[in-house]
Amino acid sequence: MKALFKPKPRTPADLVRQTRDLLILADRGTDTKESKREEKMMELSKLIRDLKSVLYGDSESEPIPEACTQLTQEFFRENTLRLLITCLPKLNLETRKDATQVVANLQRQQVQSRLIACDYLEKNIDLMDTLIAGYDNTDLALHYGAMLRECIRHQSVARYVLESEHMKKFFDFIQLPNFDIASDAAATFKELLTRHKSTVAEFLSKNYDWFFAEYNSKLLESTNYITRRQAVKLLGDILLDRSNSAVMTRYVSSRDNLRILMNLLRESSKSIQIEAFHVFKLFAANQNKPPDIVSILVTNRSKLLRLFADFKTEKEDEQFEADKALVVKEIAALEPK
Amino acid sequence: MAHDQKKEEDPRKVNNPFPLDSNCYNILDEIGKGASAIVYKAICLPINSTVVAIKAIDLEKLRADFDNVRREAKTMTLLSHPNILQAHCSFTVDSRLWVVMPFMSGGSLQSIISSSYPDGLSESCIATVLKEILSALSYLHGQGHLHRDIKAGNILIDSTGSVKLADFGVSASIYESNSSYGSWSSSFSSSMMLTDVAGTPYWMAPEVIHSHTGYSLKADIWSFGITALELAHGRPPLSHLPPSKSLIMKITKRFRFSDYEKTNDMKSKKFTKSFKDMVGLCLDQDPSKRPSAEKLLKHSFFKYSKGPEFLVKNLLHGLPSVEQRFKSMKIRMSLLLNKTDEEDEDESIGGTPKLRRISGWNFNEEVFELDPVFPSDRKQVTFGGEAFIKDKEKGSNESLNSSSSGQVLSETDHISVQESGSDGQDGNTVCNHNETCESVDVVGSGGAGGGNSTGDNGLVLQTLKFLKKSVDDQKQLVNHMIGLIQGEDSANQTSEEQLRKEIENLKVQLENEKKKNSALELELEFLKLKLSNE
Repeated sequence: MKALFKPKPRTPADLVRQTRDLLILADRGTDTKESKREEKMMELSKLIRDLKSVLYGDSESEPIPEACTQLTQEFFRENTLRLLITCLPKLNLETRKDATQVVANLQRQQVQSRLIACDYLEKNIDLMDTLIAGYDNTDLALHYGAMLRECIRHQSVARYVLESEHMKKFFDFIQLPNFDIASDAAATFKELLTRHKSTVAEFLSKNYDWFFAEYNSKLLESTNYITRRQAVKLLGDILLDRSNSAVMTRYVSSRDNLRILMNLLRESSKSIQIEAFHVFKLFAANQNKPPDIVSILVTNRSKLLRLFADFKTEKEDEQFEADKALVVKEIAALEPK
Repeated sequence: MAHDQKKEEDPRKVNNPFPLDSNCYNILDEIGKGASAIVYKAICLPINSTVVAIKAIDLEKLRADFDNVRREAKTMTLLSHPNILQAHCSFTVDSRLWVVMPFMSGGSLQSIISSSYPDGLSESCIATVLKEILSALSYLHGQGHLHRDIKAGNILIDSTGSVKLADFGVSASIYESNSSYGSWSSSFSSSMMLTDVAGTPYWMAPEVIHSHTGYSLKADIWSFGITALELAHGRPPLSHLPPSKSLIMKITKRFRFSDYEKTNDMKSKKFTKSFKDMVGLCLDQDPSKRPSAEKLLKHSFFKYSKGPEFLVKNLLHGLPSVEQRFKSMKIRMSLLLNKTDEEDEDESIGGTPKLRRISGWNFNEEVFELDPVFPSDRKQVTFGGEAFIKDKEKGSNESLNSSSSGQVLSETDHISVQESGSDGQDGNTVCNHNETCESVDVVGSGGAGGGNSTGDNGLVLQTLKFLKKSVDDQKQLVNHMIGLIQGEDSANQTSEEQLRKEIENLKVQLENEKKKNSALELELEFLKLKLSNE
């Protein structure tokens, strides 16, 4: 209780230095005696919690910008972030959560109007490899996942992840049996593919072939309901984004893609049907439909029109009805080429 | 924190024994049901048939980003406290998400109360239970988490008397801001506000309903206070109204005296000074004046708390099983709903068409209930409904109440279509219009608080959602009743007759709700039109 009223003896920079010293000790993790080690770990936990209250404030006080700046500067002056990430498995649950929040907050701290966390990460970009690998470890996945999502707020970091080999792994991560981990990976995946528009557009055009091949076969045709549903929703978000219009045009010119979307339209799940419609409408609305697309649509015309006849959203949705009317008109008017 | 030290085991060794495969579980019984989830009692075959509870969430009914479920799953995985119900694991089974949890054989306090303690629990029981919950809240808040749905229905108890807070379906973290594209800074303290409406109407703090003003951890403390009242009286204040109505009432600040008369019988019950004082602190209109969970733990009331054995002996003893309770609850629910409706109808026909504006709720320590606050004439009404008492120290409360600003705005607020001569500034607006008038008013005062049009729509939308939900609930009940009658062959004539009548009543009620709903929807459309014209 007394400690509450005592002025804090340590500066934010001191806190960081002491944390770093203890992390180095924990990282080596040998020769110290068990009792001694435990004591040091307790101290480390306390320090990380203190870092958190400097950055976030506590129930009594707001964070002080000056202190946050000091802390951030000292933190990235040396390799503290790397140490913290590599030592995370050695920390207890509460401290891991604190550490995650500290790392998250630091990504947003500006020092002289620069995000120095970004500068640091660009020089230590391999840390992303460590964080992504966390999805394979049940105990670390949620902590590393949360840190990762904060780091990819920086465009350059997101570009690295998008262009790395790791991107392929996400197709498996989001189908992990553990729901909390799978959904965390899905959130990161979505963030990667929607946040930085220009980078995403560039990535998609460069990697179009393998990316959509994987996307179709692993996600849209997955046996897993939640994977299909999230994937078709995300696909709609991606293709409907104006910055991805080149990718969209390419996507809706492929008969394989059309076949997959038409299968999704026939799903028993209403939600998947609706999301699939939002992608399907792009095929129909395309003013330069390739002949094979036209012929598929013509062949299935009566089935499609019948499907759309009693195709309704749960709540009335004007936009949806308007889109539907347009699609119906478009399909009805098609002439086989 | 004591539990910190206990968590020292090598984290990599913690091998979760619960399989992520539905075939490993054998469902025994249904023990709970919500709008989009069913809770089962089940056994986990590979682990010596350990009894578990499985919450099966219908993902088809949720939005596709699944952010809420993701957050709930994450919260339940990462929180670790003896008074918080943790999930063993979660995985999807077709379009359902299974959350496997420890089976709490005592069920929820709400179900215990409604099955065996309709007039409420003893103070020692309340103190014992609430102390555990406060300890959970204190941990939760320390982590920057709001529970946002504290109520007896979310307090579970197991056969050993251990008490746990459950259901993080609407919980939120103030670190993980929902608007990830928003500001790049966030802080812990009061400036960090959430603005979406979540929770269950009766237990909601005023600032949560007026969500445009933002709220924080202290909203949980309000709900905690309401929960204390719920445990003491057997039900939360205002609960004789359907949830949508209680919400609308709090939003519109309209209040009928007769709505409170039913609570008179509560006066006979005696409570100790320290209990009343504790609840009073929680139900302060001003969130900043409510004590923190940690502080509240030191309140003298919790000196009355006993150990878990006390609960086993005094609360759990002789209770019907959770499964049985769930079954009889289903039936009782429909009867109760029906009754409320009848009484409600009676009043609106026979009685007081007087509607008064109130600016919020004051906790009346004497009667141990919530009192409405009237903004302009600064009067307070007791539950008897006769006595007006001059409110002495209202001045500061006033300004905090968004309704007082609502008063000002309603004069200028052109959104309000209601031409009723409400000159807005005497709290005496008498509304003797029909249903539509009421719905217009919801809209009007919803907009009043913030004066920003998007907020209006948000509020109306929330209200509509609640209405829709209550329609859905009632539909479900009707279906259930039909099912019951069809399945019942040994039922005698009279009870069958009674049930039939009830179905009729429910149908009428459903129709009314539907009408109300469409009236509100109409209003919403109208508003949208107005907005787009502006």
